[in-house]
Amino acid sequence: MTHSLHRSGDIESQKKDFVWFMYQTKGVNDVGIKPKALAFIEAAEAAGSVNWGDVKTGPVTRFPAEEIKAKLSDKSRIRGVFTRREQVVEFLKRIKEEDLGMSVVISGVLDEVLAACREAGVKPHSINFSLGVWGRKEKLPDDVTLSITTMCGHHMIPPKFVEYIIKQVDSGKMTPEQGANRLSDFCYCGIFNQVRCAEIIKNQTGK
Amino acid sequence: MARINAEKCVGCRICQTYCSVEAIGFDGQKCFIDPDQCVECYVCLRQKVCPRGAIEVSPLDNFYKEFQHMMSDPVENHPVTGVTGRGTEEVKTNDVSGRVKRGEVGFAIDMGRPGLGVYLRDAEKVAMALCKAGVKLTPAEHSPLAALMPDITTGKLVEDCLNYRLLSVIIEGKCREEELGKALAALKEVESQIDTVFSVGLIMRVDENGQNPAIGCLDDLGIPRPHRGKVNVGLGRPLAEA
Repeated sequence: MTHSLHRSGDIESQKKDFVWFMYQTKGVNDVGIKPKALAFIEAAEAAGSVNWGDVKTGPVTRFPAEEIKAKLSDKSRIRGVFTRREQVVEFLKRIKEEDLGMSVVISGVLDEVLAACREAGVKPHSINFSLGVWGRKEKLPDDVTLSITTMCGHHMIPPKFVEYIIKQVDSGKMTPEQGANRLSDFCYCGIFNQVRCAEIIKNQTGK
Repeated sequence: MARINAEKCVGCRICQTYCSVEAIGFDGQKCFIDPDQCVECYVCLRQKVCPRGAIEVSPLDNFYKEFQHMMSDPVENHPVTGVTGRGTEEVKTNDVSGRVKRGEVGFAIDMGRPGLGVYLRDAEKVAMALCKAGVKLTPAEHSPLAALMPDITTGKLVEDCLNYRLLSVIIEGKCREEELGKALAALKEVESQIDTVFSVGLIMRVDENGQNPAIGCLDDLGIPRPHRGKVNVGLGRPLAEA
């Protein structure tokens, strides 16, 4: 799936948003992945991943880390989010050193991701370049809503629920951080960047 | 499939806020799920949004309903590809599998994304346009949509599936770098013939600085250069060494 590729919103905001993935290849290295998945999670936690998860259980913003780790299986997909380039560099350096043989993908603004690769001493193999959205764009929600809903690439976050959360924050019933955490519950993969989301809500509401 | 039990529904309309594709209607007294609009993503079920437990699930009654649910709910594994979500590999494991080689361009056309959903009749139009432009679609063992194509050289889907709506589905394929301009021109033409959106991803082998000169053809077509990418950083052990 291309679900982390087409995030939208202000470029400076997108520069604080990096998605990391560990991938197994069917028929090649997809058996007995749990120890490697745990190594990835440990490296990500050490580097300060603000959210991570396994689509089979859910995100760490909603489920205890130990529960997600305990339920890891060969069908798991491990992924998460960093908010700073330095975190990506630290993560890549450690994964390179551990030489686990699994595919590693970093999604984000190319200038930032490629700089992180250089700093970590890894050489990009291939890139899925985003050419953005085509077709009936006039049917899409407003840009602020989209900048939040596209942080769950599977579109599990309903646009109307984003509007509801922004109204709740605007009326003082919850903080931007509480609103962002509530929205993160919808993204089972753990790639929703609740830190960036809280900033977007703050900018929108002035709270 | 998801449905609302009218005997339990009290018409509070809370569920409408939680529908990913606005498929929940209200008849003045009760809420109902429009089966033509619902994509079976099960967000309403997983989030347990109804305080009365009125949202229920009944068995998916045919192959296309199962396909619709499989593509719309990322928790499910696709039975053929074994991959969660929409079941495709695109750039994720290219360092291991080598599916997109030097001199080739992979396409990952994310139909219905972001958030509008897609009727398969519109996915068919885009798939057929790509095929006519020389793109070879990815076969069914790596691409779920291809399972609905009797002949993947045409992109045409089986007739019975065309009116099913999915949250999104990916058209995957590849062509030679020198054919990229023709394929993108075909996408530009077909984008006005469909009733939804799609997001375009181009998968390419790159040099150590993340560059590939073939992307320069975007300038000729007036397509802005990409600022986002999904970078496979090359730490996977290639298949030949695994």
